Amino acid sequence: MERFAGTFGRWLMTPIILVLIAIGLYYFLRRIGWKHRQAMGFSLISPWVIGFLIFTAFPLVYSLFLSFTDYNLFNKPNWVGLSNYKWLFTKDIEFWKSVKLTLSYAAITLPIGVIGSLLVAMLLNKKIKGVGIFRTIYYLPAVLPEVAVALLWRLFFNSESGLLNYMLQPILKLFNLGKPDWFGDARFVLPAFAIMSIWGIFGTNTVVFLAALQGVPRSLYEVADLDGASAFKKFWNITVPQISPIILLQIIMGMIGALQVFTVAMFVRPTSAAGKFLNQLIYERGFTQLHMGEASAIAWVLFIIILALSLLVFKTTPAWVYYESEGMN
Amino acid sequence: MKKMLTGVLSLILVASILLSGCSNGKTGADNKKSEKKEKATIRLATWAGADEAKELQKIIDKLNESSELYKIEQDSNPADYDTRITTQLSGNGGLDIFWVSAQRASQLAAKGAMLDITDKLSSSDHPAADVSDYFEASLQPFKKDDKLYGLPWLEQPIVLYINEDLFKKAGVPIPDDSWNWDKFMDAAKKLTIDGNGKNAAESGFNAESAKQWGFTVNGWPPAQMFVWQNGGDVIAPDFSTSPIDSPEAMEAFKFYADLINGPVVPKQQIIRDRGFDTMFKDQQVAMFMGGAADNLENQVKFKCKVCEVPAGPSGQKATFGDVLGMGINAKTKNPDAAFAALLDLTDAIHHWKVMPPRKSLATMDEMNKLHPERSESMQAIINSLEYAKLYRYYENYPDWDNIFWTQLMDPIVNNHGDPEKLIPVVKPQLDEKLVRK
Repeated sequence: MERFAGTFGRWLMTPIILVLIAIGLYYFLRRIGWKHRQAMGFSLISPWVIGFLIFTAFPLVYSLFLSFTDYNLFNKPNWVGLSNYKWLFTKDIEFWKSVKLTLSYAAITLPIGVIGSLLVAMLLNKKIKGVGIFRTIYYLPAVLPEVAVALLWRLFFNSESGLLNYMLQPILKLFNLGKPDWFGDARFVLPAFAIMSIWGIFGTNTVVFLAALQGVPRSLYEVADLDGASAFKKFWNITVPQISPIILLQIIMGMIGALQVFTVAMFVRPTSAAGKFLNQLIYERGFTQLHMGEASAIAWVLFIIILALSLLVFKTTPAWVYYESEGMN
Repeated sequence: MKKMLTGVLSLILVASILLSGCSNGKTGADNKKSEKKEKATIRLATWAGADEAKELQKIIDKLNESSELYKIEQDSNPADYDTRITTQLSGNGGLDIFWVSAQRASQLAAKGAMLDITDKLSSSDHPAADVSDYFEASLQPFKKDDKLYGLPWLEQPIVLYINEDLFKKAGVPIPDDSWNWDKFMDAAKKLTIDGNGKNAAESGFNAESAKQWGFTVNGWPPAQMFVWQNGGDVIAPDFSTSPIDSPEAMEAFKFYADLINGPVVPKQQIIRDRGFDTMFKDQQVAMFMGGAADNLENQVKFKCKVCEVPAGPSGQKATFGDVLGMGINAKTKNPDAAFAALLDLTDAIHHWKVMPPRKSLATMDEMNKLHPERSESMQAIINSLEYAKLYRYYENYPDWDNIFWTQLMDPIVNNHGDPEKLIPVVKPQLDEKLVRK
């Protein structure tokens, strides 16, 4: 009990302190003339804001500072200016390979994820008997732990006894090809990860699309039927524009997820000849090699890449995203 | 609002009363006073798995019973051990002593995460504090600028485990002191059998249908061992260069590549799928190079003998000696108790594991007393310790090792890389990592 008393005490005191701060903030805001509702609102969200500042904003800003330092976790950060970035862009032999691998992975898996999720959602949107059971089954991937799934993938891709090579055997024999060593041969690493990304089609992405599909007004389809529109025309001219904001969301979220792939890569451990994903590189630089400054620099480069790509996608939205409020205006 | 404030204040009062009753709440001065009266709790972090942790706990219980200074609490978890202790050491994780690998020890010692115990050792008359009793090589990872930051509790040389039954069946003589690379390859070929019963030394041998292999390698044993056996090195003693392009080193890397790509070693795919050491235990591989502490001869169902690894072409003997040890957190609140615990526990582990890195204990008599079940293997293990070498660890060794593996060894092991083409490209990359130290 004595050993855990400190931890228990901190656990108990934390909400008490947050409540005190919220109360204090309310009285302070009222004193400076804020209305009751406004003061109450801000004081009630203050615990979340404090948590955000401590666990998100501060580490974000501190990591930017660390990216300009030589920091090994044990000594004080030593300011080195742009050295880390210069090293990464000009001399680091792993960095550009890692960027290439990560971007390639995102470019391949994003379309698979978005299109695949939409197609599955459209199937689950049909009014058939037992659709509820199908929806439950297709959501299961979302509740399975990522690590357990990664271990299953290792079995699946086992070159001697794995299910994938077993299924491919007739084709391999036909073309007189050997069984691919999915994680040992650099040529097959990206295809293996692309296959694994199919798992991401199911789960939350499908549910989000399903909700979007169910929000499309039935009247639009009825009118299209009256005009004799084909199924494809209805899909392309009604469904896609109506759910385009959700497609945009899925693209952005999918891109962020793909560029930050980590767990599967760490557990599957493909040959390093294929390169490392950027998050893998960040982890190894920070915790194995104790170059936290370099790791922070890589993290900020990844952030810039994600930001740039997201802005690029947003730039294209006037051409294909339809917001119902614009139509009403 | 006033009622709410009153309620919250009351809650704080109650919580404070509860906490003052439960928590330690002692100041630094109080801690020093209480250290004298009650035992200091020393938190020990290890990577021991469930079985090893149980055995370790028995040792700890005995030490705790006999000590008046400390009470060791074990915190063992092999998952992500390095990241865990790095985070704990850089913060105030409350860790006092911890197991550490040779590579990490040299890193952490250089960065000031481990307590300097040089003076404490010199003023202690504990048997485990006698620095002259340790094999010099085993202390290297814990040294920085002639100061010591920890103690090794194990130095295990790589030895050659052989399946005697398969050797007899193939008519291959058991390895002896004259074994070198050539004799090793000859034996490996005769022990590699295809589906038609032909061995790799016979014409008509079909490597594609091999069902038994003479040897196995997947990056382990390390190529550095073969470089040393051939008189070369991968890091110069003064850390000025990585001489992997010397004729001796080049020849060793080519020998290693030929081993991997030749018929006597299974394809890497097969090794990954069936399990590296599992194939030896399942009698699919006749020879296996493993650590002396692996104790494979007592784990398998066939007759298994421990031999010394073969010498190089000119008869030079060398093997890799892996060192594991223990250090004290530089931020520990109980340095004296932690030091006492470190010495006692190190000494206890010297009497538990194979091999203790101490000359007084690494003798036939002592080892036969401590490990009678391994008496037949002890001579080979003790002989191996005489010429065991460590990697030349330094502060940024992980950077160097990352390049060595990803740019040189991984291509050789997994992608049929040609050392003659790779080495000229990789050498300057390795040299750069030495310069950055």
